[in-house]
Amino acid sequence: MWRREAPHVLSTLLRRYGDFTTCEDAVQLALIAAAEQWPREGTPRNPAAWLTRVASRRAVDLLRADAARRDREERAATREPGRASDPADPVESDAPDDTLLLLMLCAHPALTTASQVALMLRAVGGLTTAQIAQCFFVEERTMGQRISRAKRTLAGQGARFEAPTAADLPARLHAVRHAVAAVYAQDHALTERVRGTDPLLAAAALDLARRIHRLAPSDPENAGLLALLLLTHARAPARLDAAGEIVPLAEQDRSRWSPRLIAEGIALIERALPVGPVGPFQLQAAIAAVHAEARSMEDTDWAQILVLYGMLDAVEPAPSVTLGLAVATAEVAGPEAGLEILDRLPEGSHRRQAVTGHLLSRLGRADEAREAFLRAAEGTRSLPEQRYLHRLAGAIRPG
Amino acid sequence: MKYVILIHSNPQPWGHPTPDFLPEHQALPQEEREAGSRAFEEGLAAITERGELVHAEALAAPSSSRLLRWEGDRKVAVDGPYAEGKEHLAGFFLIDVDTAERAEEIAGIFGARGETIELRPVMSGEPDVS
Repeated sequence: MWRREAPHVLSTLLRRYGDFTTCEDAVQLALIAAAEQWPREGTPRNPAAWLTRVASRRAVDLLRADAARRDREERAATREPGRASDPADPVESDAPDDTLLLLMLCAHPALTTASQVALMLRAVGGLTTAQIAQCFFVEERTMGQRISRAKRTLAGQGARFEAPTAADLPARLHAVRHAVAAVYAQDHALTERVRGTDPLLAAAALDLARRIHRLAPSDPENAGLLALLLLTHARAPARLDAAGEIVPLAEQDRSRWSPRLIAEGIALIERALPVGPVGPFQLQAAIAAVHAEARSMEDTDWAQILVLYGMLDAVEPAPSVTLGLAVATAEVAGPEAGLEILDRLPEGSHRRQAVTGHLLSRLGRADEAREAFLRAAEGTRSLPEQRYLHRLAGAIRPG
Repeated sequence: MKYVILIHSNPQPWGHPTPDFLPEHQALPQEEREAGSRAFEEGLAAITERGELVHAEALAAPSSSRLLRWEGDRKVAVDGPYAEGKEHLAGFFLIDVDTAERAEEIAGIFGARGETIELRPVMSGEPDVS
C-alpha cells in the first residue's frame, strides 16, 4: 500500500529539485530501501515522511555524483539549503493536483503512447520496472531502457513539472485519459496470454481513472473514462472461458457481469452526460452502459448504440469506431448496410475482415464468410483471437 | 508491436558477423566494410538505448542442428542442416517498436549484400496503440 505514496513523494521532490530523471530515480531508490528495511525494522509511523527524507537524500547524492550536471546541483542547493537531510522535517503538504501534474508530465506529447504508459505506471501507478516489463512481455532491462529514454526525452523537451496553460490543459488531460485507457487495454492482452494472472494493469488503470476523476471532477470526460473502465471491467469475468478462450459479447454469460461495477459506471455516466460537452470517453461509456443494461444481445437497444457511434464518429473518428458503427448499423438496418460502412476501412484490416465474416455469415454467404474469417485469422497478432477466428471459420457449413 | 528480424545467410565458413564471411562483402573496399560494421554497431547501440531491442542471438552452424521427424509414432533424429538451401537462418533480433515503419527502418540496419532479412510480426497479442 505504501507504494501509493510514491507520487506524493515524487511531487515533493520535483518541487525541490525540479529534475524529473533525478527525482524519479531517487524515489525508486527510496522504495527499494523501504522494501528492504521495513519488513525487518517495521513500517515507520509516517511512511510518506520517511520516503521523502530518504528520496531527498538520494536525489542530493545523484545530483552530486553527476559532475556533468553541476549547474543543476547548485540550483538545487540554493533552493533548499540543508532541508533535505533533516529527519525532523515534516513532510510538505502536497496539493492534490500534484498527482495530476505528474500524470500530465508522463503523458507528454513528445512521448509515444508506450512510453507514456510505462512512465505513468512507474511514477504514479506504483509498479516496479520488473512488473511493468512483465505486463508488456519484455525483459526488465529493456523496460528500464525505455523508461530512462522517456525521461531523457522529457528533459530534452524542457518539459517541466508545472501546470500547463489554460489553452493546453484540455489536450493534456485528454492525453492522460488515453494513456490510462491504453493501460487497461494492455490488461486484456495480459490476461489472455497468462491464464489466471492478477489483473494488475486493470487495477492500476481503474485506480488512475478514479484519482483523475477525484482530482478534476469538473471535466465530465474524466467521469466518462472512469465509467468506461468500470463498465468494461464489469464484463471481465465473462470475457474468457474456463480454458482461457475468448467469449464474444453475444455469447457471454451476463449473470457473471459485475452488477456493482455496472451500477457505479451507469450512475457516473448518467451524472456526467448532462454536464456537457460530450466527449469521446463519455460516448464510449454510454455505449458500454447500453450493453450493460441489456439482458441479451437481442434485447440490446441497438438504435441508441447507433446514434452514439454516429456521435463518436463525429468527435473522434478511429478504425475501432467505424467497426462499432458497422456492427450497430447491421443490427438496425441489416447486414448489407453494415458491410457498406466497412468499406471505409482498408481491406487488409483483420478487424474489418472479422466483422465482414459475421455479416456475410448472416446473409448466408457461407464461402465468403469463411474466407473473411480466415483472412482475419491470418492478420491478427493475438493467439486467442486467432484460435477464435479459426473456430468461426471451421463452424461454417459450406454454402 | 513486436517483430522478429530473421537473418538468412550463408557465410563460408559459418561465422559471425555473417557479412565477414560472404564473398560479396569481402569484395568491398576496406573502408566501406569498416563503415558498414560501424553503422551496425551504432544501430544496435541505438535500439538498445531506446529500449526497442528485446533479445538477439546468433545461431551456430546449420550442420550442428539436430532434426526430429516422425515416422508414424516413431521419432527419428538425424543431423542437420534443415534444408540444403542457398541460405540458412543465421540469427535473430526480437524488437518491440511503435510502428511497422520503425520495424522496417530497424531491419535495414541488419544484414548485408548477399543476405536476406526477413521481418515477421510476433503474435504478441498486444492491442493496437493508435
